[in-house]
Amino acid sequence: MSNDARTDGGTASATDTGASAGALARIDGYRILLYLGLVGMLAFFLIPIESGLVTSFKTPGGVSGSLPFAPPTSSTFTLEKWQSAFDALGRGLINSALYAIPATVISALLGSFAAYGITQSNWKQKYKAPLLALFVAGIFIPYQAVLVPLSQFWSMVPLQEWLGFLWALGINNDYVGVIELIVTHVAYGLPICTVLFRSYYKNMSEEMIEAARLDGASIRRIYRRIVLPLSGPMFAVVLIYQFTQIWNDLLFTLVLVQTESSAAAPIVLILAGLGTSLEGQDFALRMAGAFIAALPTLAVYIAFGEEFAEGVAT
Amino acid sequence: MGTLELDGVTKVFPDGDGEVVAVDDVNIEMRDGEFLVVVGPSGCGKSTTLRMVAGLETVTSGEIRLASNVINDVKPQHRDIAMVFQSYALYPHMTVKGNMAFGLEESTDLSDEEIETRVTDAAATMGIAELLDRKPSDLSGGQQQRVALGRAIVRDPEVFLMDEPLSNLDAKLRSEMRTELQRLQSELDVTTMYVTHDQTEAMTMGDRIAILNAGELQQVATPLECYHEPANRFVAGFIGDPSMNFFDVERDGDTLIGDTFDYPLSQSTLDDIGDVTDLTLGIRPEDITVTEDASGDHTFSTVVEVVEPMGDENTVYLRFEDAPEGETFIATVGGLQRISVGDEISIEIPEKAIHLFDGSTGEAVHNRDIEE
Repeated sequence: MSNDARTDGGTASATDTGASAGALARIDGYRILLYLGLVGMLAFFLIPIESGLVTSFKTPGGVSGSLPFAPPTSSTFTLEKWQSAFDALGRGLINSALYAIPATVISALLGSFAAYGITQSNWKQKYKAPLLALFVAGIFIPYQAVLVPLSQFWSMVPLQEWLGFLWALGINNDYVGVIELIVTHVAYGLPICTVLFRSYYKNMSEEMIEAARLDGASIRRIYRRIVLPLSGPMFAVVLIYQFTQIWNDLLFTLVLVQTESSAAAPIVLILAGLGTSLEGQDFALRMAGAFIAALPTLAVYIAFGEEFAEGVAT
Repeated sequence: MGTLELDGVTKVFPDGDGEVVAVDDVNIEMRDGEFLVVVGPSGCGKSTTLRMVAGLETVTSGEIRLASNVINDVKPQHRDIAMVFQSYALYPHMTVKGNMAFGLEESTDLSDEEIETRVTDAAATMGIAELLDRKPSDLSGGQQQRVALGRAIVRDPEVFLMDEPLSNLDAKLRSEMRTELQRLQSELDVTTMYVTHDQTEAMTMGDRIAILNAGELQQVATPLECYHEPANRFVAGFIGDPSMNFFDVERDGDTLIGDTFDYPLSQSTLDDIGDVTDLTLGIRPEDITVTEDASGDHTFSTVVEVVEPMGDENTVYLRFEDAPEGETFIATVGGLQRISVGDEISIEIPEKAIHLFDGSTGEAVHNRDIEE
């Protein structure tokens, strides 16, 4: 543009300054729009969470008498809903942790083993490829498609009888559901864990593994002393992902534990019915319950956040 | 002891439907304590050869023997071989001490104290004693290189394998490490197979050089033999920098007829040639001399096309008077000799310095005279 202006001759310098001043003004206008847009999006994403949070601290009168996102006033503020949500969900928190933690750890570990096997072992590629294809296929089977086979499978396995010694110890036999959930979630989470670890191990230095082999380490020792200690970031990714999936899953718990009246009822089952009654919805209670149910996943994110970022970046 | 023999070693990689022969019938015998440098252009199969000795690649056919035992099917961890990789391949989560102790912990029953002593000794040898508690990521390239070497020597193996260990270092450090590696190898007296594409390393470091091209072994000999008595045209061209000049010539009676020059031969040279007529004449740049007297049989008039002053010597690109522009050959002359582009100078190609190769097979039929 400025080149064109110069070839015009005399008036060129005047138009030049005018144009650059205009460009500056345009940039400022663009910036203002950009920031407005960003603030708007921030509000869009945060208002539901903010509304939920303020609602959970309101009395029933406060909920019906004020806008959802308005904070409670001193007359409508109460901690009572958090208290009753916690009372209702407490056992669910423990039950959920009982299967979510083991299932997460086991599926991450098994995924890591499997991925190590299909990347670093010296099997022929033609044997590895079909195995990997099976793992990948496993990722794409939707939860809904396996619900019926899943309940049939568990009705055929006499787990209840095998674990007789546990019930003899005085443990409620509803807890067979927790064991079933562990096995189911491990099986269902294994493919994605394997594929995630595989991409990580693919990028590991091949020469380093070869150096370890020449140093006299067997394939198991290489895993334990070299590969496993270097897998930290990917473990963070997989642990966070799997824990969130398993903790929040409702479908499998509906099939395997079924009712919130069960002694082994996970938090998601109890939460589903919390604050709902014939008189209507207790929004404040539901919000408080939702936050309590979300706290463990938040805690896991915070605990593994740094490694998570590293693992995602690789 | 650590004698290493490669007997008809061949490696074939499947490639789609076909096959690629990466290493073709290589025979090398290394005596105990020998430093052999395997050199060749990229993709010549030198790394594959090394990896077969290490056990990281299977051997398609042939035998690899260590101390007379066939080790083709021995797993790498049981071969008692240490390897230094181009990327150093250090374990990033372990300290220098951990890196060096790893091999001893995995392959021996030594007690912790013994391992500690050996690691400390090896670290002292490599001059990295003060780095033992650092992680590899805190070290410079040269220090990492030393750790990688330390990790190899601490195990006191039968054989060292080195895969271009110096190629990631800068030029100054590389020449320092070259000297140090040589010193170390002769001190430890361990059979060493060293792969490089750098012919300076090949010439200066090894007791012998093995030159590979396209998977085939071209020559195994001392560096000076390879330089002065190359087995074929490939070796002659590969060893030496700037490389040997080649001219395609036809033998007619006792004269070689080139495109732009004739070169008469003496009887003794003719005896070497036998009845081969299609020949390649080779002459090293430093054997070409500038002369005042242009009347001899082996003197030629040339035009200077390019001069590259190196300080101690000039690399001069010359062209025979009758040759088309751009068809040059290289001579190196003293650094103080004044030669500039466009000069017409007379040069001598002395007969005692020429090499002759069979034009079709590339085999050497006559090598230069060597004054004893």
